[in-house]
Amino acid sequence: MNPKNNLIIALVIAGIIVMSYNIDANPVEFVDGLPNLAIVVKEMTDVEPDLFVTAFWSMLETIEMAFIGTVVGVVIALPLSLLAARNLNNKLIYVPLRGILAAARTFPSILWAILFVIMVGLGPFAGVLAIIMYTIGFIAKLQYESIEAVDSDPVDAVNSIGVSKWQLIRHVVIPESAPHLISQILYMFDYNVRQTSILGLVGAGGIGFYIINYIKFFEYGKAAVFMLVVLITVLIIDFVSVKIRDKYIVKAQKGMKVEV
Amino acid sequence: MLLKKLIKKSMPYSKLSTINTKIIIHMNDVWASYDAKNYSLKGITLSIERGTNYAIVGKSGSGKSTLLKLINGMMNPSKGQIKVDYQTPNMNKKQFRKKMSKIGYIPQSLGLVKNISVLENVLIGALPRIGRLNSLLKNFPKYEIEEAKKIIKLVGLKGKENRKTYTLSGGEKRRVAIARALMQKPVLLLADEIVSELDQVTAKEIMDLIADAQKRLNLTAVMVHHDMKLALEYANRVAVIKEGQKILEIGIDGEKIIDFQSGNISQQEIMELYNNESEK
Ligand SMILES: Nc1ncnc2c1ncn2[C@@H]1O[C@H](COP(=O)(O)OP(=O)(O)O)[C@@H](O)[C@H]1O
Ligand SMILES: [Mg+2]
Repeated sequence: MNPKNNLIIALVIAGIIVMSYNIDANPVEFVDGLPNLAIVVKEMTDVEPDLFVTAFWSMLETIEMAFIGTVVGVVIALPLSLLAARNLNNKLIYVPLRGILAAARTFPSILWAILFVIMVGLGPFAGVLAIIMYTIGFIAKLQYESIEAVDSDPVDAVNSIGVSKWQLIRHVVIPESAPHLISQILYMFDYNVRQTSILGLVGAGGIGFYIINYIKFFEYGKAAVFMLVVLITVLIIDFVSVKIRDKYIVKAQKGMKVEV
Repeated sequence: MLLKKLIKKSMPYSKLSTINTKIIIHMNDVWASYDAKNYSLKGITLSIERGTNYAIVGKSGSGKSTLLKLINGMMNPSKGQIKVDYQTPNMNKKQFRKKMSKIGYIPQSLGLVKNISVLENVLIGALPRIGRLNSLLKNFPKYEIEEAKKIIKLVGLKGKENRKTYTLSGGEKRRVAIARALMQKPVLLLADEIVSELDQVTAKEIMDLIADAQKRLNLTAVMVHHDMKLALEYANRVAVIKEGQKILEIGIDGEKIIDFQSGNISQQEIMELYNNESEK
């Protein structure tokens, strides 16, 4: 630790205190508020069991929306990523395309959802469209980056066989960048389930619709039940995707044989 | 015939006419560089006859890999002429790309696609013969798949057709690279130090494999070696490269070694000469 580091730390701490004051963040309120949580938990135990069934079905709808959005988004993103990769195309193609993709992911999906609600009306379809847009922007970026990072040895060697550009892409570039794709898609699905859970806030379908309505009518216990269902679902999806990733990707990196 | 033999003996082989139909590769005063300042090859002149096993030997950084890249058109010379099968190599020219489909090039790094199977890697050698739609669908004709399997067996990888390439040993990977090159039905094979990192037994097996394929297919092989002994054992002709220049070229005919500058020379003399030169 040198004096310069100490100074930086002191400045950061001072900054946080000043900013907390500015935004009215008071730790005392946090402590005082803790008993309120206990009230919500008690309310949760009072709800009728039927509510869990509703929560389950609306969660299922949320997952379906996320699934469709992820799959369709990935299917559209893959060809776009080939066009956006600098090592495969010229500037005239990849520069504008990268701009569009950047726009697609700079907008959070909830803002896309507002736009699509305006376009196609309330309901899950608007939500699915929002998820598709965000997925395209995100997966295309991850993919064109892994395409650009593909090992140049096999590319050069196969290119020297005199194959066509599309043969090179199909037989070298895609297989070399594909292993990352599985983990990227799993991550994206996981992320999309969480995103879809809040799209209901703007009327774009999914479990968030119930949550926002119960909160509007101060039925925090019921809202909490739905939030609990989201939490459990996300944990399960996370657990499963870690398992899948371990099975296919970690093994592949260690150079072990993967059994399918 | 007699006259030709006399000419061969009395002058460097490289001075022979380029119109000679037996010659597949001809280089005349070739210079090459990666940047404006330094030349990696400085005035290389050589001719390679069809069917030869031509070895290029030299220490690391002497320009051996650069020489192969020039022959394959992956690099263009800054000065001088190169003809490979009557054409000037240039990988960006459509006409030469056709020729490249018949040149098996095995780089030092092998250039295999790691995440696909042995069979899929070998089939890549057939791609120039496959139509656009079928190659996009990875839909190879049955006879090409049979051919690939035959070659895989030939290189000693029978039963490993479906193994992912990254799971193979170094020696096995080299066999895959050779199989991919053979799948091209090549007339010319360029191999860059593919046995340098292998143990002696495996190195010999791989060299025998290439010698065998050469005989069967009347293939010309240009092989870069680190090890002079291996070159003397397998090649008909050895060029020694030092700092971008060819300092020695010898022909080998059974036990007899001919130095084109000083006449007959013994294997021991060559080894001494080579060791001295490369230590300087
Ligand atoms: N891609 C490159 N960029 C710049 N210089 C290079 C490159 N490849 C090789 N060189 C230089 O060219 C010279 C010859 O290299 P190379 O042909 O690879 O030698 P060898 O194969 O005999 O070891 C070396 O000085 C090396 O540093
Ligand atoms: Mg080299």
